[in-house]
Amino acid sequence: MKKIIKKKNTISIPSSLDYLKDVDFFVEKKLKRIGLNESQLADVAISVTEAVTNAVVHGNKGEPNKRVWVNLEIKPDEVVITVKDQGNGFDPSAIPCPIEKENILRKVGRGIFILRSLMDQVDFIFKPRGGTLVRMIKYLNSRKSSSR
Amino acid sequence: MKLSTHEEKGVVIISPKGKIMGGPDATMLHDQLHELIGQNKKRVVIDLGKVDWMNSTGLGILISGLTTMRNNGGELKLANVTEKIQSLLTITKLITVFESYDSLEEAIASFK
Repeated sequence: MKKIIKKKNTISIPSSLDYLKDVDFFVEKKLKRIGLNESQLADVAISVTEAVTNAVVHGNKGEPNKRVWVNLEIKPDEVVITVKDQGNGFDPSAIPCPIEKENILRKVGRGIFILRSLMDQVDFIFKPRGGTLVRMIKYLNSRKSSSR
Repeated sequence: MKLSTHEEKGVVIISPKGKIMGGPDATMLHDQLHELIGQNKKRVVIDLGKVDWMNSTGLGILISGLTTMRNNGGELKLANVTEKIQSLLTITKLITVFESYDSLEEAIASFK
């Protein structure tokens, strides 16, 4: 199986966190070209790495024969990023709230919370035949970024 | 991510550089923190001044380091926290858990 496949605005990797920095490099390079400021760029980059980590670890459960796809759609006033895996989905509402006192010191479980905090819109789409698609939107004039 | 370590006034200073996002690089920081316990070095500062950003994996490594240190009678403190990381610590409420200082000198002095 080919390790990394890149098309114009899409990168596909095998299910391994070894490729996380390749995804980050690809995404940041594309977004720098459209003039995102450093804060917006970091918000998107962090969120993409959270979604890809979830896709590899929880979606595909690290199975080497499965893949993760990341697609960027650059519009005049927003960037839409989708991260797709080949797993069986999960219930986002079942994840314990990481800012509750009893969860503060947990080593894991903050990814989706961070992703939702940094992006302007996040949707989870569960495909009937398997596979989860995380669709994240960053508005280019977002108050979330300008305030950070 | 690159990692350098040095010791000053009995305090180990770990200085990561770049992005902390998981994968092999993050393992390096995790292993480094746990090696220190093995060497009985229990006063640690992580200098975050040259870290562009980190994701939840990076935060998890910091928490793991902090709890391991505290469970062994030590302490892990943060110095030079950048605006983006400060923002992450605030939204995750981890700001309430870590002792953080504006400079390395202040962080080192705080162990006295």
